[in-house]
Amino acid sequence: MRKIRDYSIKQKLTVMNMLVSGVTLLLACAAFGAYELTTFRTTIVRNLSVQAQIVGANSASALLFNDAQSAEKTLSALKAAPMILSGGIYTLAGEALAMYWRGAAGRALPLPPMPAGETEQHWFTGKELILVRSIVFQGKVLGTVYIRSDLQEMNDRLVRYAGIVVAVLSLSCLVAFLLSTTLQRASTQPLLKLAETARIVSRDKEYSVRAPTTDNHDEVGLLIESFNEMLVQIQERDTELQTSREQLEQRVTQRTAELDATNKELEAFTYSVAHDLRAPLRHIQGFSDILVESLGPQLVPEIKKHLDHIIEGTQRMGGLIDDLLSLARIGRQEPRLQVTGLNSIVQEVLRDLKTETEGRDIQWQVGDLPFVDCDPGLIRQVFYNLLSNAAKYSRPRNPAVIEIGQMAVEGQLVNFVRDNGVGFNMKYANKLFGVFQRLHRREDFEGTGVGLATVQRIIHKHGGRIWAEAELDKGATFFFSLANATANGQT
Amino acid sequence: MAAINRITRPMKRNLGRRAQFAHAALVLVAVASNLSAQASKASEYQVKAAYLANFSKFVAWPANLAKSESFNICVLGQDPFGAALDAAVAGETVNRVPLAVKRISKPQDALDCRVLFISSSEESQWKDILAALKMSSVLTVSDMREFTQRGGIVQFVVDGNRVRFEVNLAATAVPGLTLSSELLKLAVTVRRNP
Repeated sequence: MRKIRDYSIKQKLTVMNMLVSGVTLLLACAAFGAYELTTFRTTIVRNLSVQAQIVGANSASALLFNDAQSAEKTLSALKAAPMILSGGIYTLAGEALAMYWRGAAGRALPLPPMPAGETEQHWFTGKELILVRSIVFQGKVLGTVYIRSDLQEMNDRLVRYAGIVVAVLSLSCLVAFLLSTTLQRASTQPLLKLAETARIVSRDKEYSVRAPTTDNHDEVGLLIESFNEMLVQIQERDTELQTSREQLEQRVTQRTAELDATNKELEAFTYSVAHDLRAPLRHIQGFSDILVESLGPQLVPEIKKHLDHIIEGTQRMGGLIDDLLSLARIGRQEPRLQVTGLNSIVQEVLRDLKTETEGRDIQWQVGDLPFVDCDPGLIRQVFYNLLSNAAKYSRPRNPAVIEIGQMAVEGQLVNFVRDNGVGFNMKYANKLFGVFQRLHRREDFEGTGVGLATVQRIIHKHGGRIWAEAELDKGATFFFSLANATANGQT
Repeated sequence: MAAINRITRPMKRNLGRRAQFAHAALVLVAVASNLSAQASKASEYQVKAAYLANFSKFVAWPANLAKSESFNICVLGQDPFGAALDAAVAGETVNRVPLAVKRISKPQDALDCRVLFISSSEESQWKDILAALKMSSVLTVSDMREFTQRGGIVQFVVDGNRVRFEVNLAATAVPGLTLSSELLKLAVTVRRNP
């Protein structure tokens, strides 16, 4: 059976009404029943008492003159009362002067003792009522009347009463049920409609619907009004939110366009500066070479050393300019995507690195890499930078172990390059991909500080991301993903 | 009489018509003979003495009678009761007046008597006695034969071993006595015509 709190309001109201009316009726019936019972008992006792008085009064002379026949005649008047089973007139000595029996005559019953000072006494014994009354004549007690009455009438009446109670109760329950189902419609219907509306609103996020209003100015009417008002406010908020979101999007688009323009300008500027720096640098380098060649052995060794410094500086500056130009170029051009096997690119890069790593003991561990949609030239640069970095920073190790592979990180397939080199402090990880940012001294590890910036830019151009994990003196791992490469498939 | 009225009033109110009829029938029907075999342990005159005392409870005397200190039950002639009558009236009252026994020899002495028992010894003079009592309000009782036919009011009869009585209602008019229906219903015979 369902619990009552799971019932609908309609059922609850019906149950409540029926319970209230049922209990009220039951209590009323019980009260009336109890009243009826006591009243009936009192009446029956009073009637019997009157009969006893009449019999007593009419048998006083019979007692005085010891006339049993007359007493019997008097007693036989009890015939008129069908509920009286038997009666008797007893002398003062307690002997039966006369007896009356409704049915077959029995023997005279011993008289129940009369309490001192009482003239009348009665006992209810289940189905019977026994009443004895002293016969008093002119202030003197002459004897006793005894009357035994059947309670069948009272019991019949009680049964009839119970029947009526049951009938009235069931009829009232039926009427209460019909009435409450009819009457509650007025109060529950708006509530049900309100609930339905609320359901639609929360399910469809549709704020333009309204709960149907009622003419009832009760709490439910108020609730519906408030609910509708709330809906109006939510709708307004919704509209406002929509508007502001559109404005925001517009602003973002605008800002992005502005940012793009600025970025492009900046890249163009970097490119032109770098490009323009080449000519004077070539002059410095060229004339320094001429000086060294033409003066030859006349050169004071100290001057020769200064010139060598100049030439070396120009060479490094040339490298820097080349890197900057390449970085700028990547920013200006869109990647040309084609399906490329990453393993073949890695093999190419390893061939290129052969001269650079001549004489070193490096264990290259290349795993299975996917075919992806990418710009092969740019991805080659990525691998070149990452692998040459790994080789460079693992120079103090013998053997150096460099692992290239693919793994799933948070459901996404990522490529990684791991070395057992010097690593870095994770505190500076955010500086890793900045232009000209270096975590090691040039004296220990050569480099321009443009390589990882270039790598990050290429990865971003492909819609991927790159990050690194490392520990000082325990090696570093670089992870990068390319767009749409998930653990399930390869793009 | 008042006692009877007090009882019949609630009866009329509380009993149905049928019950009322039944009661009326009871009151009116004179009881026939055929007595139950009540063995009367007391002697005949003991019973008669008790009856004499009891009669006073069912008879109303005229209200204009002069008040007296005692309610006299008199015995005229030879007394057959002996101490039994004195025992029967001892402690008894009528309207708070104590009963007393008075033995007389002449009917003229019966002026302050309410109940007069005329002994069988006086049978020969019954005419004179009744004539002498004409003007007094006295209930005449006797066990002489044909007493009621002769103008007496109550006559004891012995029926088997039971003492009963006859009543001559016609004789109550002159002395102004009223006999209760309760008494009449016990009488063997009630004479209504002179």
